[in-house]
Amino acid sequence: MLVGAFACAHTPQLLARPETEDRELVLRVHAAFARVKRRLEALRPDAIAMIAGDHIEAFFLSAVPALAVYVGTECAGTFGRYRYRFPIHEPLARALVEAGIERGFDLVYTQDAPLDYAFYVPLHFTMPEPSVPLVPLHVNVYLPPQPTPKRCYEWGRALGEILGSRSERVVLMASGGMSHFPGTDRYASPEFDYDRRLLDLLSAGRSRELAAVTAEELDRAGNIELRTWITLLGAVGDAKADVYCYEPSWHHGNAVVEWPLAVT
Amino acid sequence: MVHYRFPPASAYRLNRCLFALKSDDAFRSRFRADARAAMREMGLDDADAAALLRGERDALVARGAHPYLVFMADLRLRMEREAVTFEYF
Repeated sequence: MLVGAFACAHTPQLLARPETEDRELVLRVHAAFARVKRRLEALRPDAIAMIAGDHIEAFFLSAVPALAVYVGTECAGTFGRYRYRFPIHEPLARALVEAGIERGFDLVYTQDAPLDYAFYVPLHFTMPEPSVPLVPLHVNVYLPPQPTPKRCYEWGRALGEILGSRSERVVLMASGGMSHFPGTDRYASPEFDYDRRLLDLLSAGRSRELAAVTAEELDRAGNIELRTWITLLGAVGDAKADVYCYEPSWHHGNAVVEWPLAVT
Repeated sequence: MVHYRFPPASAYRLNRCLFALKSDDAFRSRFRADARAAMREMGLDDADAAALLRGERDALVARGAHPYLVFMADLRLRMEREAVTFEYF
């Protein structure tokens, strides 16, 4: 069953803390992450199914899956001096692939891919101890043509139904966003107004409307990673978002959000 | 798409080199020790190699490099060269 749903920024500067950053802003995001960690401890999940956009890390141009599931016993990665490794909930990961394929989603699965920092940054701050087994769910966000927002929403709806039929207590977590433009002239001028309008929409429970946004709109708004959120939104339906924080830094709209669900 | 475009096949080797700089610690070490040799290993042509050596983002992107790969390859190199500027607080 699905017991919790969260979205978290994974801005690497939150972890690396270079001198370019506003210390107080970073610490406010850390405080929001700490709230998520306390909620995870209270929700007692058997697994965290985490949806992250691949930062051309698990997959390069040898094969670019739109949607993929990591099905292994553990998963590891590195970022700078950080070396991390998490157990995988293999039975649940396998069930998601099998049930997803059965429902018409041509999922890729992998048993050998590094774990991107998009997974690690939020988990560094929010993972309860001992570690809850993970199910990494990949969405192609950086290599066009990416899956459409509509397709992401549909995959999320299927995920919600599949998880709803399972006995395990599962938390869904989307990693990514909000507006940022790495590697472009827009890096220092994200679309904060777009983010705020979006958070208002989500707080009002109008998440369905995001399934209709276009790839062009996401690209223009620096929100290509929002596909991970849109996937999660398919699973949480019309639940209203509780925005823990929205912290616009000079390069990122950092948001931490929970969708409180009726089940406990 | 305005910001992130389909990576042209003509830029495959350049993107592969940037990917390795981002994600392959051993390759990044070889690049830091001898950039020209590392780029030869990746099969970069002279124009790609010159743009990468000069760190010209716009030139690299114009040649088909993915902007995120350019960004993160540069960041990973700087994290090693200037480690002192990280974990500042």
